Amino acid sequence: MQRLAASVMLILAVSMLTFGAMNLLGDPLFNILGPAAADTKPESLAKVAAAKELYYLDRPLPERYVRWLGDMVTGDFGVQFGSTGQPPVSELVKERFPRSLTLLVMAQLLAAMIAIPWALISAARANKPADRISTVNSFLLIAMPNFALAVILKYVFGIKLGWFPLTFKATDPWLTRVYQTFLPALTIALPAAAVYQRLLRTDLITTLQEDFILMARSKGVGRQRVLFKHALRPSLFSFITVFGINTGTLIGGSLIVENIFRIPGLGSAIVEAILREDFPVVLAIVMIITTAFVLVNVLVDAVYTLIDPRVRR
Amino acid sequence: MSDTINRRLGPLFWIAVGWLVLISLLALLAPWLPIKDPDAYYLVRGERPPYAPSATHWFGTDQDARDMFARTIFGARVSLVIGFVAIAFGMLVGGTTGVVAGYLRGRTDRIVSFVFIVFLSFPSLVLAILITALLDRGLVTIALTLGVLAVAPVGRLARATTLSFAEREFVTAARAIGAGDRRIIIRELLPNVVIPMGALALLGMAVAIVAEGGLAFLGLSVEKGPTWGKLILIGAGSRELEKSPWIAFGPIIILFITVLSLNYAGDRVRSYFDVREIGL
Repeated sequence: MQRLAASVMLILAVSMLTFGAMNLLGDPLFNILGPAAADTKPESLAKVAAAKELYYLDRPLPERYVRWLGDMVTGDFGVQFGSTGQPPVSELVKERFPRSLTLLVMAQLLAAMIAIPWALISAARANKPADRISTVNSFLLIAMPNFALAVILKYVFGIKLGWFPLTFKATDPWLTRVYQTFLPALTIALPAAAVYQRLLRTDLITTLQEDFILMARSKGVGRQRVLFKHALRPSLFSFITVFGINTGTLIGGSLIVENIFRIPGLGSAIVEAILREDFPVVLAIVMIITTAFVLVNVLVDAVYTLIDPRVRR
Repeated sequence: MSDTINRRLGPLFWIAVGWLVLISLLALLAPWLPIKDPDAYYLVRGERPPYAPSATHWFGTDQDARDMFARTIFGARVSLVIGFVAIAFGMLVGGTTGVVAGYLRGRTDRIVSFVFIVFLSFPSLVLAILITALLDRGLVTIALTLGVLAVAPVGRLARATTLSFAEREFVTAARAIGAGDRRIIIRELLPNVVIPMGALALLGMAVAIVAEGGLAFLGLSVEKGPTWGKLILIGAGSRELEKSPWIAFGPIIILFITVLSLNYAGDRVRSYFDVREIGL
């Protein structure tokens, strides 16, 4: 509960900082009207007044902040600056957020699907040649920057082998789009899988030295069965924690990977918005990411206390 | 990397250090080395750039017929400076506040720890996006932005290490002979905190160099001159990768070897001095 309160405080602080900085350091009027904002011609002046009225730019900053925050909580992210007649920010977010979410969920699923068997194999053959090779591999993967891995995968699987399409069409059916998301998801998943594998392998090796494993083995339970039925479950605690915490970190990485694979998600939206100095869009995306990040961390804490009763006080 | 303490640094460590020295020297001396001009257009009559790697252009050229090898070396200047300045700033600010907080405890510690937590619970890339989008995209701004992001992880390690040493006998002994706070921190605690920080500095520099690349892909890296991130970005488009993969792969290889060397060296130093695992 205390953590939840702290999280809400944190999100509020971030929103104030972002809102203040965005408004003080840039001139939103200029972005709505273009050069006309600096004009002194009567018709330009009228436009400026109208825009100020429309976007509440004539009100003091704290009032605008409260208005904006109120709108935000009710799901209205304000109107998009830049060119008039564009859809409001909420529409943009509604269109792009699911794509980023799909990418992230796919990446984490892939990472877990790769990491668990990989860890089981290395733990079963701890410190033998196969395990040594896998250790070197995971070290290389962890050191690999995500954008470099993205370029390599795009080159090998997208261009040389041609297995995956390199364009993302919003009009394609759902399944095709998931297929198009596979390569970027793999880019995010591979280094994450390496991190999970290292962790799970260490925990598995520790568990395999426990007495109840020896007991099971001496009763005649086979090696494979011991590994899957007896050792895996008690070794999963720190894996689950890191899996959760890492979700927040992966959000940042997915912004970059989206841009490389041209997936029109939040990552490309924020880049476009920064280039246009489109404050409402930048603000909305920053707030969504921050909130997601903080919420994931709170959720991980909650899940952790659920699965491990020892943590409860 | 290894599960047991290894009291040898090993030959690979020295290869990694050798590479780091080499690339730093190349970057430092780039203007005086006999390499091509990174901004000159080496057009060949009757052939359209980009040119594939050859004896004249080791890494090939980009679409404007600029020599990729020279650009990668000059890119190292920016990327390495960013990495170095960022982690130096993080060490200076984070290290100082961390050690002081760990030594003084009480209210100072609570305030400092809270600030660290706030920073750590903010997605760091978003903070970097905000600062660079709002301020300019100069070398100093980018380096210091990444430096600010390094403060909390570095500070947390410095604080934890200080806490573990502050109760030891040699600190009590120093206090017993009448040493002041300042003397205890500088003469007794700092030498013990510096070693784990050194390992973290190597890892942190790798993180900062990679972060510059990430910012480049969001269009937020240093505006002037080549950086590793920007060079890879230019070669990363579908058409460029299909026709002239060398544009992206030259800088990728150099960047990867450098990051790998930093990671490996940091890892070895850490297990050599038996520093406990602290996440960055």
